[in-house]
Amino acid sequence: MSAELPDDDELLAAELAFGLLDPAERQVAEVRLTSDEGFASAHARWQGYAAAMIDHPGEAPSASVWTAIEARLPANDSSQAASASLRWWKAGTLVASAAAVVLAVVALQKPQTIVERVPVAQQAAAPMVAVLTGKTGFVTVSFDPASGRMTSAVTGLDIGAHSPELWVIPADGKPRSMGVMNAAAPSWAKVPTTAASVMAAGVTIAVSVEPVGGSPTGQPTGPVILTGKLTTT
Amino acid sequence: MGSTSSDSDAASLAATLRRVADGDRAAFEDVYRRTSVKLFGVCLRILPVRQEAEEALQEAYLSVWRRAATFDAAKGSAMTWLITLTRNRAVDRLRSGGKVATAPIELAEDVHDPAPAASTLMEIGEDQQRLAHCLGTLDGGDAGLIRTAFFEGSTYAELASRAATPLGTIKSRIRRALLKLKDCLS
Repeated sequence: MSAELPDDDELLAAELAFGLLDPAERQVAEVRLTSDEGFASAHARWQGYAAAMIDHPGEAPSASVWTAIEARLPANDSSQAASASLRWWKAGTLVASAAAVVLAVVALQKPQTIVERVPVAQQAAAPMVAVLTGKTGFVTVSFDPASGRMTSAVTGLDIGAHSPELWVIPADGKPRSMGVMNAAAPSWAKVPTTAASVMAAGVTIAVSVEPVGGSPTGQPTGPVILTGKLTTT
Repeated sequence: MGSTSSDSDAASLAATLRRVADGDRAAFEDVYRRTSVKLFGVCLRILPVRQEAEEALQEAYLSVWRRAATFDAAKGSAMTWLITLTRNRAVDRLRSGGKVATAPIELAEDVHDPAPAASTLMEIGEDQQRLAHCLGTLDGGDAGLIRTAFFEGSTYAELASRAATPLGTIKSRIRRALLKLKDCLS
């Protein structure tokens, strides 16, 4: 797979990647990364192995994490900041129609004007909501067709060491995954395109109980515990 | 490693990261959207208290924003770069508490290796499964030492002092394990 390094060099690359070296040894090894290609590539390979030690399946962080990150980015001048944060939410809207694309160009040149224009674009695609109910607990989902984003929140649901997964089931009866929900806190997420394309008033939204991290098959594998209809606001 | 579609995902993530290096906030948001679930998993693995993990995640992404220019696609995948950076931030935070660096380590053969449960392994990728398999072939306790080093940021010297074992013994033991790991993985 790769050129053989002497064992000592191979070990040094591994030790650096796993964080075993003392600060002084580490500095020497890091300098060597910049000059010794074979060593650098062995180190990259070990970094890949080390990264593969992460055995946590992952989980959606609270929405507040992104808000806090964005707030701590270096301040641009205010007009740029406004356009950046609008782009955040309106990216979908801006490409949705030719007229909106024109607006985007206007927005880049004169960011202050977009503040008045955006509500007009929003009227074309009203947000949708669903309240999902079942035997216990409920889930609320809101979906913005313009951006393809949803927010979701779980209340009073206890499914132990499983993940609640959201599905949209349109008229054809085939569930499309909207992603795994965060059972611990409300969260936002981009709805996968296959699901977003069938989101419309009247479709069924459901929650199934899946292994941690979501259905391994792409189809619901556990019981459906909550359902509701998507309605326009 | 990985399928064609994940290869193209990896290439597109690398390209997006290069745009972040140019100060592109939309690209930064895209990177966050695509990687925050995974990177939050990294934080939770090291800092099981959710609030701590979220703070580490926040610091990690701010580092991504500042240091995106140092990512070099020739030296590994964007995901590995992001995981490494996130692991470092989370370990910094863990160690700033000061407790782990001195917590004793048991070196007995039957020591509990905090290996992931099989049910968790089903949820993770091929690389992780291969690595978990290879870690499983190591002698009792060795995999645990390597995991402790990586997840708690303990150097040889700290592992030796935490295990009340001479530094030379710890070093040769881990080095032997690393070479075995390399043979198993390559």
